[in-house]
Amino acid sequence: MRADKIDRVKRRLLKEAVADNLETMQGLPPRTIRGPRRLLRLWLRRAPILLIPITLAGSTWFVASSNAVSSPAVVRASAIPFGPRAPLTHRPVGPATLDPNSPLPPLDPAAFPLSVRRVVLDAGHGGTDPGTVSTSLVSEKDITLDIQKRLAALLASSGFDVVTTRGDDRLIPLRDRARLANTSSGDIFVSIHVNSIRNPERHGVETYYLGATNDPSLTKLAAAENRASGYSLTDMRTLLDRVYADARRDESHRLASVVQDQLFGNLKNIDPGLQNWGVKRAPFIVLVATEMPAVLAEVGCLSNEKEAAMLRKPEYRQEIAAALFQGIRSYSRN
Amino acid sequence: MPEASTDILHVGIDLGTSRSAISASNGERFVVDSYVGWPVDMVAKKVLKRNVMIGHEAVANRTMLDLHRPLERGLLKEGSDKDVLAVRELLKHLLALVGVSANGGKVDGSNVRAVVGVPAASLRTNKQYLRNSMKGIVDSLMIVSEPFAVAYALDALLHTMIIDIGAGTSDFCVMKGRYPTEEDQRTLTSAGDSIDTQLLKLIEERYPQANVTVFMVREWKEKYSFVGDAGEKVIVTAPVRGVPTDIDITAEMRAACETLVPPTIETMLDLLSRVEPEFQERVRNNVILSGGGGLIRGLDKTLEDALKQVGGGKVTFMEDPVFIGSDGGLALALDAPDTDWEKLSA
Repeated sequence: MRADKIDRVKRRLLKEAVADNLETMQGLPPRTIRGPRRLLRLWLRRAPILLIPITLAGSTWFVASSNAVSSPAVVRASAIPFGPRAPLTHRPVGPATLDPNSPLPPLDPAAFPLSVRRVVLDAGHGGTDPGTVSTSLVSEKDITLDIQKRLAALLASSGFDVVTTRGDDRLIPLRDRARLANTSSGDIFVSIHVNSIRNPERHGVETYYLGATNDPSLTKLAAAENRASGYSLTDMRTLLDRVYADARRDESHRLASVVQDQLFGNLKNIDPGLQNWGVKRAPFIVLVATEMPAVLAEVGCLSNEKEAAMLRKPEYRQEIAAALFQGIRSYSRN
Repeated sequence: MPEASTDILHVGIDLGTSRSAISASNGERFVVDSYVGWPVDMVAKKVLKRNVMIGHEAVANRTMLDLHRPLERGLLKEGSDKDVLAVRELLKHLLALVGVSANGGKVDGSNVRAVVGVPAASLRTNKQYLRNSMKGIVDSLMIVSEPFAVAYALDALLHTMIIDIGAGTSDFCVMKGRYPTEEDQRTLTSAGDSIDTQLLKLIEERYPQANVTVFMVREWKEKYSFVGDAGEKVIVTAPVRGVPTDIDITAEMRAACETLVPPTIETMLDLLSRVEPEFQERVRNNVILSGGGGLIRGLDKTLEDALKQVGGGKVTFMEDPVFIGSDGGLALALDAPDTDWEKLSA
């Protein structure tokens, strides 16, 4: 490279390095994932959702316009009232139907037969956060990572794109996990955890999706999992406002149901004592902050020593991964 | 390169897991072992006559110290106050070596502009954590990826791949004439430390009577590391039942060093495959090995052999990699205009 070209490139790189530092100081996500391509992807993905109400509104307006042409008196009477203003008994139809306050009928997911291409897998805990630990010193962080790797291999071999929030034993803040899921354009998010309960005799599987809960034990569990998320109260309020109005909750419920069915269905054949604790709602941070259908699966119970011993076996962990895989595949196909 | 203001010191710092280097605009350059230790008790404090020890001195007196190596995998360990303190001590020590002092030095920290290199795949939270930890030590701070600093030092800014093998991480970066993004970079934890661990394990298995520490193993690796053909035997001296004895660790050294080869090749080829097809050949012919790991004998040839499966290429290594990262940081620090530095106050 010529010297003047090197200088030009250096000046540009330096400018970008400074911009990157300023963005870090402001707590913004990396440029690559906020770039034009990301915006384009987001736009393309959401375009059908935006187009439907616009098309509906447009067609309604078109019909109204046609009516208006055939009966101009109605328009004149309502649009240019003479004398004292009378209360309107007839709302003009047309572009005014785009009023954001007017309720739109819920969207039927069947209108969007979109397939799942990219799956974001999240192995719970890691690094200095071992998660729950059995009396025989089996750590949740190791189990979740191993199952994630097995599940990732199964998904990849079936043609899914797989993104993982951690590939080794390190602590990734929950905020970063959610950010990674959002910025990697994942279609669904599956967080893998292992449970621990007070009664060491009981053990079972359960799957969560985002929602409010009245169960104090679930609030406590969510609080434990959400520790050190890095979100402020205001962030949380914004996230929750956004999320609860979001139709993806229905999709999350559907995903949670098929994952739970496969988990329990497959694992009870190996462990007849396993209990089905069902599909539940809880406000785990990774479910709140992710922007795609998201579930958190508690795939076992380390407080039960018999199950802890099983979780130590690679074959059992493979069965869990296979059950999760079948659940994801089933969701994807339907 | 613009001239530095006389009353402002610009520094480039390569904050490494094993060693940290500093290059300053006043011409001073130093490298220290990234160890910080505090006397374990009053007796140790009285013997050592110091409140804190840093670098080689800390390693030499480790039996009397609460010894910390604060940068795990090239990153500041989160949640450990002692490690944050250790990083601050390490940075203050590096700055003091080049003449910066809070009380009575040539310049004080309020006139220092620093560029610090961190692993390529550091998350923004890691960088913010480091930035917070450096508050009050320097006036302004810019954090960049370590391989980017290396590329900047070498003017290797276009169609080049930098493979920077340090102690805690191996960082890969393809330079495409733009500030590297996440898709241009990778970080592996297979690096110098993982070779040390493996080598120690293999030596202990073969010579269970020998008394070997990780510090000895690290020293041997730095002298004799190789992959492929040994050339000559690696014979080292270690105490066996208290008697200094020569032991042959040739096979162990090869096996430990070669653990680095598969992940390095896999990552190199993966990054190459993501380069636009018309530029792949140019990148293949501009692969630069830096960091201490780049000095592993035979590694350049092994990587070249691997490149043959995708059309061949050229791998070169830095013969003196110690200051290349900090020199790159210094060059960045000097090139950045005052207006940018004002925005980057620490």
